[in-house]
Amino acid sequence: MSNLGFQQFPEYQVPGVQQADFSPYESNGGSIVAIAGDDFVVIAADTRLSSGYNIHSRDQSKLFKLSDQTVLGSTGCWADTLSLTGLLKVRMQGYEHTHLRTMATDAVAQMLSITMYNRRFFPYYVSNILAGIDKDGKGVVYSYDPIGHCERAFYRAGGTAGTLLQPVLDNQIGHKNINLSSSELPKLTIERAVAIASDTFISAAERDIYTGDSVLINIITKDGIEEKKLQLRLD
Amino acid sequence: MALAEICKISNAPYMRRTAWDLSDVEEDLKAHTSNLANPYTLAAPPFENPMHNLNLIQANADKTGIKIDFDHGTTTLGFKYKGGVILAVDSRATGGQYIGSQTMKKIVEINQFLLGTLAGGAADCVYWDRVLSKECRLHELRNKERISVAAASKIMANIAHEYKGMGLSMGMMLAGYDKRGPGLYYVDSEGSRTPGNLFSVGSGSLFAYGVLDSGYHWDLEDDVAQELGRRAIYHATFRDAYSGGIIRVYHMTPTGWIKISETDCMELHYKYEEQKAQAAAAAQ
Amino acid sequence: MLNNYNGLAQPFWQNGPAPGQFYHFTGGQQQIQNLPRELTTAGPYGTQRNTARITTGSSVLGIRFDGGVMIAADTMVSYGSLSRYQSIDRVFKINEKILLGGGDDFADIQSIKRTIDQKMIADQCRADEIEMKPTELAMWLTRVLYNRRTRMNPLFIDVVVGGVNAEGKPFLGNVDLRGRFYEDFVVATGFARHLAIPLVRESKPAGREFTAEEASNLIRKCMEVLYYRDTRNTSKYTVGVCTPSGSVVEGPYKVDENWSFASTIKGY
Repeated sequence: MSNLGFQQFPEYQVPGVQQADFSPYESNGGSIVAIAGDDFVVIAADTRLSSGYNIHSRDQSKLFKLSDQTVLGSTGCWADTLSLTGLLKVRMQGYEHTHLRTMATDAVAQMLSITMYNRRFFPYYVSNILAGIDKDGKGVVYSYDPIGHCERAFYRAGGTAGTLLQPVLDNQIGHKNINLSSSELPKLTIERAVAIASDTFISAAERDIYTGDSVLINIITKDGIEEKKLQLRLD
Repeated sequence: MALAEICKISNAPYMRRTAWDLSDVEEDLKAHTSNLANPYTLAAPPFENPMHNLNLIQANADKTGIKIDFDHGTTTLGFKYKGGVILAVDSRATGGQYIGSQTMKKIVEINQFLLGTLAGGAADCVYWDRVLSKECRLHELRNKERISVAAASKIMANIAHEYKGMGLSMGMMLAGYDKRGPGLYYVDSEGSRTPGNLFSVGSGSLFAYGVLDSGYHWDLEDDVAQELGRRAIYHATFRDAYSGGIIRVYHMTPTGWIKISETDCMELHYKYEEQKAQAAAAAQ
Repeated sequence: MLNNYNGLAQPFWQNGPAPGQFYHFTGGQQQIQNLPRELTTAGPYGTQRNTARITTGSSVLGIRFDGGVMIAADTMVSYGSLSRYQSIDRVFKINEKILLGGGDDFADIQSIKRTIDQKMIADQCRADEIEMKPTELAMWLTRVLYNRRTRMNPLFIDVVVGGVNAEGKPFLGNVDLRGRFYEDFVVATGFARHLAIPLVRESKPAGREFTAEEASNLIRKCMEVLYYRDTRNTSKYTVGVCTPSGSVVEGPYKVDENWSFASTIKGY
């Protein structure tokens, strides 16, 4: 602690109050779920923005539309999220101006990975999931660790309730531990993906204090993005 | 203002512009995306000794609730034999205690004659493998000749050495085939670079070594060698909590790499179980 | 580094060596960039600087209503537990479209306010009849604050930015010392986060915004509650109102004190 602080004036110190060291990070909570189908992808995130026991906003979208085919869901330290998505938007605009076309989902995914790795020694505290339609028209999900390790997947959960939601998706979408032949398994349609995403969030709102209020669902197809909103518990 | 200029007052620290201006926007963008132009320029942290100080942030996790868990990869192995090089890996990625992925690709296809395996920090390995892949391609274009495994591994070791002490975490094998024959190097984030015939890296490596050493010799047949690698990784997934998922086997031949198999370790478990039962029955 | 500015010795290829130089394997031509490290030696996470607030303002409360926004703050700036300055306005009119309410370290608030005033003068000097809007100021603040926190040298401020945008739509947001930003119909800093926000959220009519009258009644009620319960509060407060017709800071008003209930409170 610096010698300019309260330590120098002990008579002004409030008993029992400790001067905390500045922590550059803050956890603002929130969860994301993304499910990719053959020609669509669904990405959902709750709208609660909190820190500690405070709920700052009940209506903060955590989905960032990067193009008509790509949406990024980002939670963690909200200041980091804003900074990172701001960078991405500027880079994508630059790309559009130099190449006269929109950046493809796969390219955005790689760029995000490299941009995050730039802060290897002072990482962004964020949980990112990128959803989009790839160049073959297929739905795709990319998930990231805080320093930009990126993996392509078909379904993924992230954020504060990520560890709660992922096993549900493993079972319902990945059909892990389900002894049915492939013809008996339910087909993954947009309706089913949206229903599962909604259900997982309803469950997460029951058990995670940082997830709740409402959930925004983006359905991305080759024709564009459809948005839906579902009310969750407010407690 | 002119007087201030003459007196050089504007150079005084308290007269310096401190807050943000429009001209800073470009600088800021450049600083935070510097590695898109040059992959070696990463943003410098605002504190000294990031290895120590990032750990401090981690150590405060119980107070702040903030724990930055990177994805880590674990068991990998590689060995040279008469038919080339075999690489075998698992596919589990763990962030702390959480299994971040069961399908991670721990063999990076750098080019047709060069493969890298990945243990330690996943992002570190993938990022620098990608940079290496660029350097290798540039080498080809400049010299009209493929890069040797020795040279490629030296680039990687140089990179690792440059960042030594900063907290990178990599333990990788580079396998390839060049005019000297099959090549296998172990390179890690401490900057060491060792050629060798047989390596295993990661938390499950002890288990893999046990199986590997008992079955390895130079004159293995191709299918026996591949099965040895697969079995060694299987035993690591069975005994090491940080290893699991899919077992991938790659074979580096004189004409480039071939993907041999990708098998779920659970499937292998029951297969080996059955083989054991059959062997026991035959012995009676 | 010099080479980058020397037009005569351009590198042979991107990141390659200039004529007469050696190819540098891993470093390319650019040096690893150094972020400015003001006053660094060891401290929390290896940095040393003042991590304490000295003179602090407590609550700021902002409420959005159908025709604009209202921001209120009491006039106390404390020095630890000492009520050091008792009549300082903490709600500022930035221009006809923006109000700023400042909480936390008051020195840092004054510093950032000075810079903002400079920007406003620059804005007027352009004489292009384009005024800065609250969204722009809020975004600018996020960049300043995020950059400072990224250098581990934060400005210890927590501000409420409010106003109306070009179409006359009300805007109300909060930016904190890490550059965290969000918009809502009610935002607050300090103790008002705990005491005032629930009161305002509770009385929010479903499906519509507050009216100006409802907002001003709520502000009056919240400032009263804050005065009773926050020890770093004084009974005087100022209120900034911003509507499409302009912004104004009114007051100081006095909390309608009534201590008759005090004798009924027992237990501490």
